Amino acid sequence: MNMFIYIILLSVFSTPLFSAELMNAEEIARHINSRDEGIAVSRFLTMELTDKRGKQRIRKTHAFRKYYDDEKRTAIFYLEPKSIKDTAFLTYDYQAANKDDDQWLYLPALRKVRRISASDRGDYFLGTDFTYEDIKLETRVSIEDYNRQTIGEDEIDGFHCLLIESIPVTDEIAAELGYSRVQQCVDDQIWMVRQSKMWDLNGNPLKTIHSSDIRQVQGIWTQHILDVVNHKTGHQTKFMFSDVQYDKEINDNLFTKNTLKRGL
Amino acid sequence: MLNKSKTFASLFFQAVTAKPRLVISIGLMVIIGFASFIPDLQKDTRTDAFIPEDHPALKFRDKTKELFGLEDPMVIAVINKGKNGVFNPHTLALVDWLTKKIAKMNNVDPDRMTSLATENNIIGTDDGMLVQPFIEQLPINQQQADQIHDAVMDFPLYVGSLVSRNGKGTLITAELMDQTKAQQLYQNLLELIETAPVIDGEEIHIAGEGAVSGYMGAYIDADAFRLNPIAAVVISLICLLAFRTLRGMILPNLVVIATAAGALGLMAAFDVRFFVITNALPVVLIGISVADTIHILSDYYEDVALNPNDHPRNITVRTMERMWRPITLTSLTTMAGFLGLSLASVMPPMKYFGLFAMVGVGIAWIYSLIVVPAFLSLLKLKPSSAHKQRNNSTHTEVDLFGKVLTRLGANVIRFPKSILLLSLSIIIAGGIGASKIQLDETLIRTFDRQEPLFIADSILNQLFDGTHYLDIMIETTNDEDLFIPENLKLIENLQKYVESLPHVEGSTSLVDYLKQMNRALNEGRDDAYRLPENANLAAQYFLLYSISGDPTDFQEEVDYDYRLANVRIRLNDGRYSKLKVVIEKTQKYIDEQFNQPEITAKLSGRVNIDYHWIKRLEESHVGSIAIALLLVWLMASISFRSMVAGTISLLPVLVTILMIYAVMGYFGIWLSISTSMFAAIAIGLGVDFSIHTLERLQTLIRDNHENIDQAMLDLYPSTGRALLFNFIALSLGFGVLATSKVIVLQEFGLMVAVAIATSFIASMTLLPALLKIFKPRFIGFNRH
Repeated sequence: MNMFIYIILLSVFSTPLFSAELMNAEEIARHINSRDEGIAVSRFLTMELTDKRGKQRIRKTHAFRKYYDDEKRTAIFYLEPKSIKDTAFLTYDYQAANKDDDQWLYLPALRKVRRISASDRGDYFLGTDFTYEDIKLETRVSIEDYNRQTIGEDEIDGFHCLLIESIPVTDEIAAELGYSRVQQCVDDQIWMVRQSKMWDLNGNPLKTIHSSDIRQVQGIWTQHILDVVNHKTGHQTKFMFSDVQYDKEINDNLFTKNTLKRGL
Repeated sequence: MLNKSKTFASLFFQAVTAKPRLVISIGLMVIIGFASFIPDLQKDTRTDAFIPEDHPALKFRDKTKELFGLEDPMVIAVINKGKNGVFNPHTLALVDWLTKKIAKMNNVDPDRMTSLATENNIIGTDDGMLVQPFIEQLPINQQQADQIHDAVMDFPLYVGSLVSRNGKGTLITAELMDQTKAQQLYQNLLELIETAPVIDGEEIHIAGEGAVSGYMGAYIDADAFRLNPIAAVVISLICLLAFRTLRGMILPNLVVIATAAGALGLMAAFDVRFFVITNALPVVLIGISVADTIHILSDYYEDVALNPNDHPRNITVRTMERMWRPITLTSLTTMAGFLGLSLASVMPPMKYFGLFAMVGVGIAWIYSLIVVPAFLSLLKLKPSSAHKQRNNSTHTEVDLFGKVLTRLGANVIRFPKSILLLSLSIIIAGGIGASKIQLDETLIRTFDRQEPLFIADSILNQLFDGTHYLDIMIETTNDEDLFIPENLKLIENLQKYVESLPHVEGSTSLVDYLKQMNRALNEGRDDAYRLPENANLAAQYFLLYSISGDPTDFQEEVDYDYRLANVRIRLNDGRYSKLKVVIEKTQKYIDEQFNQPEITAKLSGRVNIDYHWIKRLEESHVGSIAIALLLVWLMASISFRSMVAGTISLLPVLVTILMIYAVMGYFGIWLSISTSMFAAIAIGLGVDFSIHTLERLQTLIRDNHENIDQAMLDLYPSTGRALLFNFIALSLGFGVLATSKVIVLQEFGLMVAVAIATSFIASMTLLPALLKIFKPRFIGFNRH
């Protein structure tokens, strides 16, 4: 094959790649957010927290989440380690932006349920590297907080994905979230974010969240492993979900102070 | 023996002057060779540099620092000494403004800042716990500001650290992304506070370990650029005054350049870093290295005055034959002084200072014996107006300096016993003074009192719990053992005890956080500010705290396994004499009341390091004096082949050192970095005056048929005059250090300058008086 034909062929085959319009970022976000997450879910969650020296804290929990009309309720019951067994955490997240979330904690050693003031969106969640906002969104993205655009494509864990970059709409929102920029790698087959990178308010690399072991459970695409690395502190968090059930009946009573205290 | 060495000396200096241009070229090339290394010199301005890198206290501090992620943040203090202190709408807005601006600065970690504007209050309520910012919204009136005041003052963990106990000050701390760029951030912060909206009564100060080490670098440079030129100019002027010829000025400077280039070049070549006190090295070497040349030139010009028509090479060789011995001996004794300092010091900066000063003196000696005669033999004879032949005499004309010394000599001859008596009283006073000297030092003293950093440090230590940290690492056996109530109780008692010691203003550990949580979960009752009663509750409190806390929130207090804890003690005084009490009493408490098989405590932190290296100053002081005295005595004894001579030559320096002890004891001057270094150096340098004096008197007494009075009268205008300029050069060389901005160097320079002056005077008075009274055999007296 002479060089001329080679160049012709190369340009013919590569042209569509360069000229194809990548999907608009807002449209990608809509795809992500319209994905089914199930009304309610029950799952076992193991939190593996690792500090920069490699020391670990492993906490096993049984966690429940259920969507209501304009709120989302979460309950987490600690199973291990022994010293915090039966500690339980309950949250009501309200959709309305002006309404603070409600949070309660049951401390078995004190035998009391205590109401805890709402956490800020940028606060860290239960000593992990996730913020409350990260946890609240689960697999979704926030439409109103960011301006976003598609900046390219990539491949992660062997899956094709579209790269979108999101910048908080205002400095105030950036300060609330603790991020000045977020870059996400979105699998355009199943519309799930496979990797997110965050930068702090001064533009320093802050953390990377990586989802893996994504497979369908009862017809719903479910991530089973979440890894977060904080690049500044060297702290890491690994969430491992098991026994995920979307079809199990979850009684509304579960999300009450009484159940917190009584246990499952 | 004498003739043999004379023959050898004669041959040697004939050889050196045979091909003078070659010798000079080689000499210059060696200088260039040395100098080429100098650009590689690395500065080391860390306060840690004062202690050997492998010292256990330093290693343990580094371990705890790494373990608990202890950082050296920038500390910005906002002060308002008005009625309401910082708790007024304007000052709180200023704190908020500064916090936001600083968070955006380069090299600041925006997630690791603390101030009143970032911190949360934890309030116990009837049904739970409220975590909310102290300043939710900036107050618009005094009443709101008062509420913030009350809230902060009700939060024990922050009182004394985040805000001063009297409410007049508050701190903003900012951790750095890159500690090595602290100097730039410190400068940027200084610029920022210039633009801050400050009103009357408000002050902003910047301090912190980060600021100190950053600032020190610039400080050294500025100092070096001032000191060295001054020293060079001063020395040149002295040489000009002494010889009033161009060569009399240039030759000593050549030796100076060789010496300084050699010492610094070798430091660079051996990868020895440039410390704060290394700044004194070139300055000191400038003063010392000219001494040899001054003595050579003095003799040379006397010879020239007596033999104006002789060949330059003959005069040079004759001069060198006479001078090589005293010059060699004095160089060796000076080197011995520095060696004593180097051997006895544990602190790397002092060790290397002594070592490379010794090397420098050696280089000066070599150049004085080889390159200087080569030069002199090449130059046409040109008499110095300072040395003229006296009519029909074998003596030279005496100038003003010579006359003053002759007058001094006449008095020494007349009152030898009074001089002896005076010296004896100085020795006694010195003995008493020495017993009163206190060892003390603090690093902040390095800086000039007018420096913003010094002022900031004083204010922080006055208003807050202090900037001097003593860390105590607690170690238990198993993971989560720190939750055990007995262990927590032990730590609580340890803190209580240490806080009862003088200058300890506060302490923080996980105990304080647990008490705070316990209170918050018990409706905020004051009586609930105590430790939880069971281990699980402690564990659950930490979980509770983590509900909205950063995963690294407690890294400074406890390790990830809850097995190791750090107790941070804050002192408001960094002086050794104060640290010593705290350290030694705390250690005793730990040994006797704390340590058990299951739980142990160990001291760490900056304060512990300072304690260890300053403690060693005393030994290194005594050790360096002992080594210097012994070496100098040995050399003088061997050289004069008499132990009496060795002892007598040491007497003037002994009187000198004891006189300085008397002054130190009387005025309460500390034995510190500066004052511990002076003695060994003063011995090595001061003894030179004795050696030159004795050496010359030996000859003069022989020439004058044992007539001591006549010998002394001949001594003063010649050797006496040379020693006078030697002393002036040395004193001024060290005196230049007094203009340094580094206080340690100022004191060091002054001490040595005074010591040299005293040694000179003692050599000119006490030494001849002793010889006159005791008529020792070594000097040439026959006792029959």
